[in-house]
Amino acid sequence: MRAFLGPLDEQGRIPAHQQTLVSSFLVSAHGANARQLALALPSRLHHGWQVELHSQYCREMEILSLVARATAWVPIPKLAFSLWQWELAWLPKPVAEAADRLQGLLIDLAAFGHALHTVIRPAALLPEGFEQADPFALAMRRIEFESGRLMQAQILFLKGPELISYRGAVAAAVEWRHAQVRELWSGILRSMDIETSARHILAPAPAYRSALKAATDVAVAANEAVKQS
Amino acid sequence: MPWLEYNSLRIHYELAGPSDGPACVLVNGLTQYVRLWQPFRDALVARGFHVVSFDMLGQGQSDKPSLFIEQDDQVAVLGELIRKLGERPIFVAGISFGGVIALRHAIAHGDSIAGLIPMSSFAEIPSQLYLLGTALRTGLILGGTTFLQDLLFPMNFSSEWLESKRDLIGLATHRGWLVNDVYALQNLMESFLDFEPLTSQLSSIRVPTMILTGEFDFLTPRPLQESLRAHIPDSALVIIPRAFHAFTLEKPELTAYLVAHFAEDVMAGRFAGKGTVWIGPETVGGDFAAFPAGFDHMRSIPVRKDLPELAPRQEAAVS
Repeated sequence: MRAFLGPLDEQGRIPAHQQTLVSSFLVSAHGANARQLALALPSRLHHGWQVELHSQYCREMEILSLVARATAWVPIPKLAFSLWQWELAWLPKPVAEAADRLQGLLIDLAAFGHALHTVIRPAALLPEGFEQADPFALAMRRIEFESGRLMQAQILFLKGPELISYRGAVAAAVEWRHAQVRELWSGILRSMDIETSARHILAPAPAYRSALKAATDVAVAANEAVKQS
Repeated sequence: MPWLEYNSLRIHYELAGPSDGPACVLVNGLTQYVRLWQPFRDALVARGFHVVSFDMLGQGQSDKPSLFIEQDDQVAVLGELIRKLGERPIFVAGISFGGVIALRHAIAHGDSIAGLIPMSSFAEIPSQLYLLGTALRTGLILGGTTFLQDLLFPMNFSSEWLESKRDLIGLATHRGWLVNDVYALQNLMESFLDFEPLTSQLSSIRVPTMILTGEFDFLTPRPLQESLRAHIPDSALVIIPRAFHAFTLEKPELTAYLVAHFAEDVMAGRFAGKGTVWIGPETVGGDFAAFPAGFDHMRSIPVRKDLPELAPRQEAAVS
């Protein structure tokens, strides 16, 4: 078992097979979340947290677009079964203890989003020495970095005053979605011979800082190029 | 790797040192994890201690509750670990956030320990600390774990140490980013949002207590430790010269010497805290010096306690 993706190819890129497995999972999970958010969003916003929800929806679409374009896709026939299994898992499971069915659905939706943005840490899978300008690696780093902000929408809603009287049920719903996402994510990692629980002990990386800076420089340069064009 | 089960949660802990020695239980600060205790732990082991270190709920390899972390659960976990140590002198040393958990244990179950060592800790959250904590939380949300660590390193260590450990800091930051999760750190920070001050309960701590504070700690400055000294009956406040907030990392051997010195005094029955204030030694084996009589240990400049107040005299001059 390894703690990180790899071994890297000669250009310092993550193998296409591993890119495809990771990205398939991300597209399935974030795609389900985006669909559910689109259905939950009213045409006119009535509450403050719905503004966060709208932002969340747009970010999920960005993640899907980014992953689709940054991945070196290769065909993996066995993924067909996994995709079916994942899509079934993402189906809504309204919380029975909620005030009504809509609130129960919203709690589950928020719990699912919270699990996606906390359990899945794709940047933490990148091994030392990866190619700094590789689109897949940069996409993984961007997704994980944005997750810290994105999960605030769920946290605001799930810890908010509206749900305080259902605190036990809400916590249980979030724990359940966490366990579900963790099990499926661990499954895809295990299929690549990866186990992450002790990765901080195995991490080599005094070079991490320079890698981080180089990656940031590339992103800044790319932004500048876009502005100038 | 040992694990403690608590309410269907798993807590990662490690044991080191002679199994028949006096025990010292170490309680983490906010972004810490077990491995960061290693230099301090090894120095304690070399002095004959049986050392227990653990990742609190939400930290390191312990389980990370997804939405809410209760401080009561942290105190209960500490209690469970102490119970596993059986009959022997047990000392509890907690730093910063971990010091709060250690204080709460001593308030509720003081009879289970021989001595308490709050380090860079606090019993109340005045405006300065509250606003600082809120800003750190915002930094965590907007910039992630690495940004939070980037803020904490220069706050908690001297320039000399930061310069000499540049490579180590890169590694520690990377490992800290890998082992910590933003949501779990956020939950830990938010467990302080409804924090009730412990000040009124401190007088119920009856065990000998050595309060350690860094001379230059500005994250949890001296008034916070002074409050502990003023309210815990059998306490002594020890100011560590030239130390900042995280002195267990910057000065592990010296801190282990202070802890061992305290434990020996307690076990020999010669510790007499009596609310005294001391200046700790600069090096291992050095002497403690009583804070100069007549001077105010709360000031950064040598001001006599009996100096007349300036304000009334100025007012008199104006009138």
